[in-house]
Amino acid sequence: MAECAHTWNMTNRQFGFAVFERCSHCRIIRAYYAEQDSWDDYKEGEHHWSIVENAQTFRFDLECEECGMYVSYDDFLGLLYCTSCLDDCPVEILRKKYEEDNTWILVGFGFLPESSANPYSAEKLEVLSEYFNQRRDTSRSRVKILPNSLIDKLSLCRGDFIHDVGMLSLEPPEERKPLF
Amino acid sequence: MTTQELTDLLGLKALSTFEPREITGVFISDMLSDVMAGAKSGNLWITVQTHKNIVPAANLVDASAVIVTNGKQVPEETIELANKHDIAILWTESQTFELVGRLYSLGLATQ
Ligand SMILES: [Zn+2]
Ligand SMILES: [Zn+2]
Repeated sequence: MAECAHTWNMTNRQFGFAVFERCSHCRIIRAYYAEQDSWDDYKEGEHHWSIVENAQTFRFDLECEECGMYVSYDDFLGLLYCTSCLDDCPVEILRKKYEEDNTWILVGFGFLPESSANPYSAEKLEVLSEYFNQRRDTSRSRVKILPNSLIDKLSLCRGDFIHDVGMLSLEPPEERKPLF
Repeated sequence: MTTQELTDLLGLKALSTFEPREITGVFISDMLSDVMAGAKSGNLWITVQTHKNIVPAANLVDASAVIVTNGKQVPEETIELANKHDIAILWTESQTFELVGRLYSLGLATQ
């Protein structure tokens, strides 16, 4: 049997929140998807978590309409676009390279801190790139989603998530504080 | 109809420079998540959002243009980013409802 070329559809969409929190004790950042937003500090063992940001976002899975292959993104945090903040960042170097080819780079984040040490599944990011490319006119341009583990100086990164940050009010949002 | 024809026809103000594109339909939302989940390639995206994040979102879903309604002021950094990515940012003082009525009468609809 010929291998399926896959036609991806987004399925199991749920709207929720990307929660970013920082431990005031050890300063690590934790980020994950949650159905509810929350703003209260809480203790968990050694850690004392304070919310840095809640952004409206959504979670989803992808399913091939031809062969039924199902890819779950329940461990996906979102897409960040590179703002060219660091010249020597591997993402910025790749961004320049791909742009010559009319390919826009985005960075796919898994939950933190897990995904900064263990790269988000390359296969899943490949499927996600394929999905968004199938949604666009690729004769004009393409998108390519890279793993967040490529950002070696996350604490200096000023990239922006494509999340609904500060968009609950329809007033122009103030300049956002750095996340990391 | 192309984005340039629509701009001329409705007297929209082009805030960014862009290559004209064929319009496939209309998508209305003020949430990036809605757009990422549902807008289709070539769609006009109508919003009152002006944050620069609208540019990568429009780029990701391959929108043909973003129309900012209600005369909302668009920050310079949004326009700069749009120019970089060839995203058409069009602007009108009309309310969304009024603009959508005119688009509908031109035969544009949800795709
Ligand atoms: Zn398949
Ligand atoms: Zn801690």
